[in-house]
Amino acid sequence: MNFILDGLKEGMRLICNLDGEVLAVVKLSLFISIFATLISVLLGVPLGSMLALGKFRMKKLLIALVNTGMGLPPVVVGLFVMLFLSRNGPLGFLQWLYTPVGMILAQVIIATPVIIGLTLAAVQGIDPRLYQQMLALGASKRQAMFVLLKEIRLSILAAVIAGFGSIISEVGAVMMVGGNIRGQTRVLTTSIVLETHMGNFDIAIALGLILLCLSFTINLALTYIQQHKVRPL
Amino acid sequence: MIKVEDLEFGFKGSFTLSVHSLEIKDGEIFSLMGPNGAGKTTLLNIVGSFEKSYDGTVEVFGQNILDNKFSRFCRKEMTHIFPQPYLLNMSVHDNVALPLRFRGIKDSTRIDEVLDFFKVSSFRDKNALQLSQGEKHRVTLARAFVANPKLILLDEPFLSLDPRYKETLIQDLRARIKIDKATALFVSQDHNEILGLTDRIAVMDRGRILQTGTPQEVFTQPSSVEVADFVGVETLAEGVITGKQDNLCSILVGDKLLKSVSPFQKGDSVLVCLRPEDVILSRKDETTSARNHLKAGVLQVAPWKLEYRITLDCGFKLIASVTRQSVDSLGLKAGETVFASFKATAVHLIRRNTGQREEINRR
Repeated sequence: MNFILDGLKEGMRLICNLDGEVLAVVKLSLFISIFATLISVLLGVPLGSMLALGKFRMKKLLIALVNTGMGLPPVVVGLFVMLFLSRNGPLGFLQWLYTPVGMILAQVIIATPVIIGLTLAAVQGIDPRLYQQMLALGASKRQAMFVLLKEIRLSILAAVIAGFGSIISEVGAVMMVGGNIRGQTRVLTTSIVLETHMGNFDIAIALGLILLCLSFTINLALTYIQQHKVRPL
Repeated sequence: MIKVEDLEFGFKGSFTLSVHSLEIKDGEIFSLMGPNGAGKTTLLNIVGSFEKSYDGTVEVFGQNILDNKFSRFCRKEMTHIFPQPYLLNMSVHDNVALPLRFRGIKDSTRIDEVLDFFKVSSFRDKNALQLSQGEKHRVTLARAFVANPKLILLDEPFLSLDPRYKETLIQDLRARIKIDKATALFVSQDHNEILGLTDRIAVMDRGRILQTGTPQEVFTQPSSVEVADFVGVETLAEGVITGKQDNLCSILVGDKLLKSVSPFQKGDSVLVCLRPEDVILSRKDETTSARNHLKAGVLQVAPWKLEYRITLDCGFKLIASVTRQSVDSLGLKAGETVFASFKATAVHLIRRNTGQREEINRR
């Protein structure tokens, strides 16, 4: 029992002292997850909207693939990204393995289906006549889609929160693609695993608390944006 | 403005829209009326280019709507109003400004004009979703007219409104269409809406146009049993023309001889159509200007909206519409005998075809 309390005390001390190495790990974690979320939003929101509004063959199959993608095991994603980026892999020439770029790529692959799936559900939840109404009022397809997305911004932000949540706490993929190299690709989750294996529970607890605080702060900000100016029922 | 030729549209094998020819002129308010499943909304959606998988030609503004050019240049000259308002979660002003925003127009004087015209300027800053149903419909109309469209497609836009509110809204809508010199294609099943708004009507049933004409023509001179049924002609009886002098025909219906002004010839088999409001009831066989006087037994007295429907037997079934006061003063009740009279000009004749007997018996 004592080692947990000691761990918590040490953790608070590390946080208060702003340890340089810990700070670097936090910065990299934030950079990778936020950047990956941004790319996933840029890809996922338009793709989810097009999938919802478009009429084309194999639509149901694509939706089934997206739904499957929403539950992709991060370790499997990590494995395939690692194989593709390895020296002999098809994308080996990019030299992204064991770099933050490779880690971002893996996280984008994890978060994008989540954002596509939730955007798809949100757009399909709107009366299709609303889209037609916008076209009938003289909107181009792009303008009409933008209006629709603005109308379902709460659901889109929920998709962003879910996408971010799926990668900030993810360890399998970043471990395999990043390699947990100190000072280069070490992030909060991989550090927690490493420190736990080494028996440094105090540091692991400190990093865990930081991860929780970061996750809470970012989700709080997104929730504030989401719930701002929501009409009371 | 709108020209439809040899239009054929199939919907999952169960419904076919088939319009041989239809032309709507500039500045006209044209209504499509008919029962559910008649194809009115489908035709409107085709004209609005929301439905493109059809055969035949549909031209709007002189251009085939399937041309790519049409989408680019003409689409912004028309607007479509659906049964629901489809307002967005923003202020009334911003909702009404949308069509101008889509067109890149920054001038807001037109917004003020339509907000005033449709009497919604007092809540221009209120969230549109917080308005009453009637106010939402007014905002929808203001939004539709703000960009000064040349063609307005209206799909049962007053479906959920109470009759009194609807009446004033129809007056405002008609006035705005005429002020803007726009053309309107209006879909409805409501006779009052159509009569209050329309210049010309097409009656549709089962994917086909049965009759086109002015409201007066369609409502008083239906061309078929289906049209007569839809426009509220309640007396339909089989007869044969037994004589003709000038335009005045004598028609034998059962054992009664009726008079009608009609171009039919002696020997023609016809259906006699009579609107209930054209029949006058009295207790005595009084001489009036009406050429048709029949002694009739009252079969049923039933309330209908603010009036009463009286079902009479005078050798054939005759329906009359009278006020509550008339029911009281004439002492109308089942089993009584009264006299029914109606003018020869009120009797409309339709040529009788084989197969119509079943339709009439069904009624």
